[in-house]
Amino acid sequence: MASILKSFLDWLRSLFFKTELELTLVGLQNSGKTTLVNVIASGQFSEDMIPTVGFNMRKVTKGSVTMKLWDIGGQPRFRSMWERYCRGVNAIVFVVDSADHEKLEAARTELRNLLEKPQLANIPVLVLGNKNDLDEALPVEKLVEEMNLKSINNREVSCYSISAKNQVNIDITLQWLIKKGKGSK
Amino acid sequence: MNLSKKDEDSGDLGIFYHLDKSTVLQEARVFNETPIVPRKCRLLLTKIIYLLYLGEPMATTEATELFFSVTKLFQSKDIALRQMVYLVIKELSTIAEDVIMVTSSLMKDMQPKSEVIYRANAIRALCKVIDASMLPSVERFLKAAIVDKTPSISSAAMVSSYHLFPAGKDVIKRWANEVNEAINSKPSSIVGTASSYLTSFSSSGSSYNSQPSSSNISQYHALGLLYMIRQHDRMAVTKLIQQLAGSGRGTFGSSSGILRNSFAYCLLIRYAAKILDEDPNSRQQMYDLLEVWLRHKSDIVSFESAKAICNIKDVTSKELYPAVNVLQLFLSSPKSTLRFAAIRTLNKLAMVHPTAVQPCNLDMETLITDQNRSVATFAITTLLKTGNEASVDRLMKQITGFMSEISDEFKVIVVDAIRSLCLKFPTKQVVMLSFLSGVLRDEGGYEFKRAVVEAIFDLVKFIPESKEAALAHLCEFIEDCEFTKLSVRVLHLLGVEGPKTATPTKYIRYIYNRVILENSIVRAAAVSALAKFGVSVEDPEVKKSIKVLLTRCLDDNDDEVRDRAILFLKLIDDKECAEKYVKDDSTYSLAALERQLVQYVSNPESSEKPFDLSAVPKITKAQAEAENLKPRSFDLASIQTIGTSSAIASTGATAISTSRDATPTPGVDQQQIYSQQLEQIPEIAAFGPLFKSSIKPVDLTESETEYVVSCVKHMFKEHIVFQFIVTNTLNDQLLENVTVVMQPESDDGSLVEEFVIAAAKLPYDQPGSVYVAFKRTNPEEYALGSFSNTLKFLVKDCDPSTGEADEGGYDDEYLVEDIEIVTGDYILPTYISDFSSAWDDMGKDGEVVETFALTASKSLKAACATLIELLGMSPVENSGTPTSSSVHTLMLSGTFLGGIKLLAKNRMTFAPSSGVTMELSVRSSSEEISRIVIGAVV
Repeated sequence: MASILKSFLDWLRSLFFKTELELTLVGLQNSGKTTLVNVIASGQFSEDMIPTVGFNMRKVTKGSVTMKLWDIGGQPRFRSMWERYCRGVNAIVFVVDSADHEKLEAARTELRNLLEKPQLANIPVLVLGNKNDLDEALPVEKLVEEMNLKSINNREVSCYSISAKNQVNIDITLQWLIKKGKGSK
Repeated sequence: MNLSKKDEDSGDLGIFYHLDKSTVLQEARVFNETPIVPRKCRLLLTKIIYLLYLGEPMATTEATELFFSVTKLFQSKDIALRQMVYLVIKELSTIAEDVIMVTSSLMKDMQPKSEVIYRANAIRALCKVIDASMLPSVERFLKAAIVDKTPSISSAAMVSSYHLFPAGKDVIKRWANEVNEAINSKPSSIVGTASSYLTSFSSSGSSYNSQPSSSNISQYHALGLLYMIRQHDRMAVTKLIQQLAGSGRGTFGSSSGILRNSFAYCLLIRYAAKILDEDPNSRQQMYDLLEVWLRHKSDIVSFESAKAICNIKDVTSKELYPAVNVLQLFLSSPKSTLRFAAIRTLNKLAMVHPTAVQPCNLDMETLITDQNRSVATFAITTLLKTGNEASVDRLMKQITGFMSEISDEFKVIVVDAIRSLCLKFPTKQVVMLSFLSGVLRDEGGYEFKRAVVEAIFDLVKFIPESKEAALAHLCEFIEDCEFTKLSVRVLHLLGVEGPKTATPTKYIRYIYNRVILENSIVRAAAVSALAKFGVSVEDPEVKKSIKVLLTRCLDDNDDEVRDRAILFLKLIDDKECAEKYVKDDSTYSLAALERQLVQYVSNPESSEKPFDLSAVPKITKAQAEAENLKPRSFDLASIQTIGTSSAIASTGATAISTSRDATPTPGVDQQQIYSQQLEQIPEIAAFGPLFKSSIKPVDLTESETEYVVSCVKHMFKEHIVFQFIVTNTLNDQLLENVTVVMQPESDDGSLVEEFVIAAAKLPYDQPGSVYVAFKRTNPEEYALGSFSNTLKFLVKDCDPSTGEADEGGYDDEYLVEDIEIVTGDYILPTYISDFSSAWDDMGKDGEVVETFALTASKSLKAACATLIELLGMSPVENSGTPTSSSVHTLMLSGTFLGGIKLLAKNRMTFAPSSGVTMELSVRSSSEEISRIVIGAVV
C-alpha cells in the first residue's frame, strides 16, 4: 500500500515543473502542523515533538515542485502573528485536531478571526482534520459542520480528513495545494 | 538589482553616506518578495545595522514590522545572508516586540545536524530572544553546545549562558559540569576545526581557519561562567583556582598547564586576589600563586598578578618586592601600553608605599621624557611621591623643561603634586617657589593659574620662611593678571598677610596700582586690602598715606568702591570699630548660618521679624580654616594621581578610606545641631555651653529589635548629659512617659544623677529623646565607668492603621546594652597646623611618657585607628595613616574639658612577632591631665 502511494505521490509531483508554492500552516497547538510538515518533507512520521516556539520555515523540493512551508506555532501568544505570515501566500492550511472535541470551538473562533482580516481576502483555505487514525476522530462531514465552513463564502474552502501518522489523504491534500499553486501562476 | 549594483560601484563608504531611516525601511519590503535575492537583502541588512549602530532611534512598531519582514528571510539558505539576519535579530531583540517568534528557527539552526558555520551565531542570537521561562526547553541544546568540539560554538554557548545567568540562575547552575569540561578540554585538533570551516567557508583566507584553535579563548569564557556559577561558594572558588593553577605550576615554559589562554589567567588572578582579600587564612597560599604567575611568559598575565599584589591590603614590602621588580622591567618596555600600565600601577602604589616604589626611581626619571604624555605625567607625579629631599632639585629641573610641552590638565596635576611636595619638604621651598613663580608667568588657562596660586597660598600659610618671597611673586602676578577672581583672592591675602611682614609699605604700591588700573571688582578688593594695612600697621606714617590713598578712591566711578573707601576712612580713626570690623578674627559658622537662613526663609511667620544674627554661633577664623583644610588635605593626597580619567575611580576610593580612618573630629555642623537641641531644654541650658558631643550615636540595641535605642553623650563643664534616642518599631503600640534608669557600675559617688527628662509619647516609627543628666561631684575628678540602662515606659495598644491608642496601658521595661564613659569623651579633637612648634612651645613640664606593648594589634594602621578612637584626639600632619608598616610616629592634638590644650606624640614600631610597641608622650599644661589621658590607654 505504502509503496503504491509513494509512487503515486512522485508521479503527482513530477507533473509540475518549476512550480513554486508558498503555504502557511496554522491551527491550535498540538494539532499536528509541524508533524505534517515533516511528513510532507521527509515522508516520515515522528511522534515526539516539542511545541513550536514561533515558526519553522521548511523548503521542500521534490521533483520540480518547490514548497515553502511556514509552520507557525499554535500557542495563544503566537496566534496574533498568524496573519503576518498568511499575507500573500498561495493557500492557508488550517490544521485541526479532529479527535479533540473540546478545542473545536476555539479552533472555529480562531479560523473566523483569521479569515476576517482584510489582508487575507480571497486566499484559499484548506481545513485539515488531522489524526483521523484515532477512534474519536470526527468524520469530515461532521467537521465541516462543526467548523461552520459552509458559512465561508468569499473564498475557496476545502476540508479533508487526514492522518499524518498513517499518511492518509496526504496525497489529495498535496494535489489540492499544488492546484492552488498552478492556479495563481 | 540595478540599484544594488550601482551601490556597489559607488565605493565602500559611499552607500552608507547619508543613509535615511525611512528610505531603508521602505526598501525593507524586498524581504517579502519572492524569490529572495540574497546579495541585495544582505546589503540592506547591513544598512539597517549601520543605522542602528549610529544610534538612530527606532520606534517599537517600526522595529517590529522590520523584524517580521526579516524573519521571512529564513526561507533563504544563503549562509552569509543568514548570519546577517542573526545580527539584525540581535539588534532588534531589545526594540521589537514578539521577537520570541524566531526561537524555533534559531533552535533548529544551532543544532549539530546543521553542520554549518552559523551555529555559533544562532546560539548568540537565540539567547537574546528567549527569556528565563524558555530556558528549560533550550537547556539540552545549550549544554550540548558548551561541550562542542568547535571552540566558536562552545564559546558562543558559554558567553550566552553568562548573559542569561542573572535571569536563569537555577537552570544554568546545573551546567557546571559541562563548563568544567569545556575548560579542561584538550586543544581541539586544528585539522578538525579547519575542515569544518572549510566546508562552509571555503573561500575565506587560511589565517581565519587556524585562529580559533590557537587562541583558546573559550577557556576564558568557560572560566568566567564557572566563576559566575560558583561565586558565592568561596571553598569552590578556592578549589577551582588550585585545580587550574596546580598542574601548570613552575612549568610555564611548556604548555602543560590546563589553561592556555592569557585572559583566562587574568581572570583567575582576579579571583585569587578576591579570595586573598576576603579570606585571611588563604592569604599565603594565594600570594604564592600570584608570585608564580609573575613569571608567566605572557606580559598581560605577569602584569595582572603584579597589579593584584600591589592591591593587597596591608601588603608587606617583602611581598611587594617581586611585583615591583616585574613592573620595573615593564617600565623600559618598548611597548607604550606596558609602560603606561606599569607606571600607573606604581603611581597608585606610591600613594601607600612610596618606599617600595623607590627602586624604580631611575627608570621613572627616564620616562619623564617619554613620548607618551600620559606616561610622562604619571612618572612625574610618582617620582614626586617617592623622591627624597636630595632628588627634588634634579626633579624640579626636569619638570621645568617638561612643563612647556604639556597641556593645561597635565600642568594642573603636576602643580598639585608639587604643592604637596612643598609641604612634605619645607626646606625645599626656595626651589619650589621659584618653579611656581616661573610657571605662573607662563601662558595658561584659569584652572592652571588657580592651581598655581593656591599652591603659593599654601606655601604662605604653612611655611613661614617663604612668606615674603611668595607674597612678592603674587604681587608681580597681579600686575598682569587676566583673571579677576584670582586678583581678588591675591589682594585679600595681601591684605591679611601684608601688614604682618617687616616692610608692609612695599605691598601698598602694588595694591594701589590695582586701584588705578583694574576693573571695579578688583578695585573694590584693593580698597579693602589697603584698609587692612591702614588698620593693622601701627606706623602713623603708613596710616596717613593709606588715608590719602583711600581719599583718592572717593572719586571712583563705581559705587561699591566709593562705599568701601568711605567706610574704611571712617574706621581707621575709630579704633574700636576698626577692631570690630576689620581685624575681627571670628566668623560665623557658615553651616549654622545657612541652616538658620533656610529656616527663616521657609517659615512665613518669622519674616515679620528681622533675622536674628546673634543666634548664629561664631567660630574663629582659624577653626573655620581647619574645617576647610581637612577635606582639602585629602584632595591633595588624591589629586596627585588623577592622571587619566580611569584613575579617578581608584583614587576616589582612597580618599574615602582616608577620611574614614583619620578623623573622629565631630563636624562643627553636627555639634551645632546637638547644641541647639540642648539649648532649648531650660534645665540643660543652665549647664552652660556644650563642650563636646560624641560624634556618632552609640547603638545600644540591635537595629531590628522592638525598640531601637542609641545614645549620645554630651559633656558640659560639670555635667554629663546622656541623650537616649528611642524609636518604637511596633506599629500596634504607643509608648508613653518613656524614661531610662541608669545604674553606674561602681557607685563611688563621683557622678550624681540630677534629673531625667522623659519622652512623653513615642508613636510608631517616630524617634524621641530621653535625657539623663549627671553632675560630676568633684570637678577635678574625671569620672569613668559604665552604666547599665533600662528603658521604662507605659505601653498602650493601638490600632496600627489609625494610630489611635486604647485607654488603658501597662508598665513595661526593656533592658538595653551598657554605655561607657571613657577618657576620650572629655577630649575635643582640635586641629593644629604646626605640630612640632606647638609641641616645643608646650614644654616638658606637663609631660607624661609611658611605653606600651599592644600584642593584639595586627598592624600600625589598626593601632593608630584604635588610639585615635580611644583618646578622641585629632591626628595632625597626615599622621593618622602610617606610610611605613614598621615604624611610625602618630601626632595627636586635642582640647581637654575646660579648654586645656593637649598634645600627644606616639612613636610606634611594629614587628609581626611582638605586635605593636609604642611610646606615648602626652603634653599639656597640667601633668594631672596628661596622666589621666595616658591612663586611657592602659
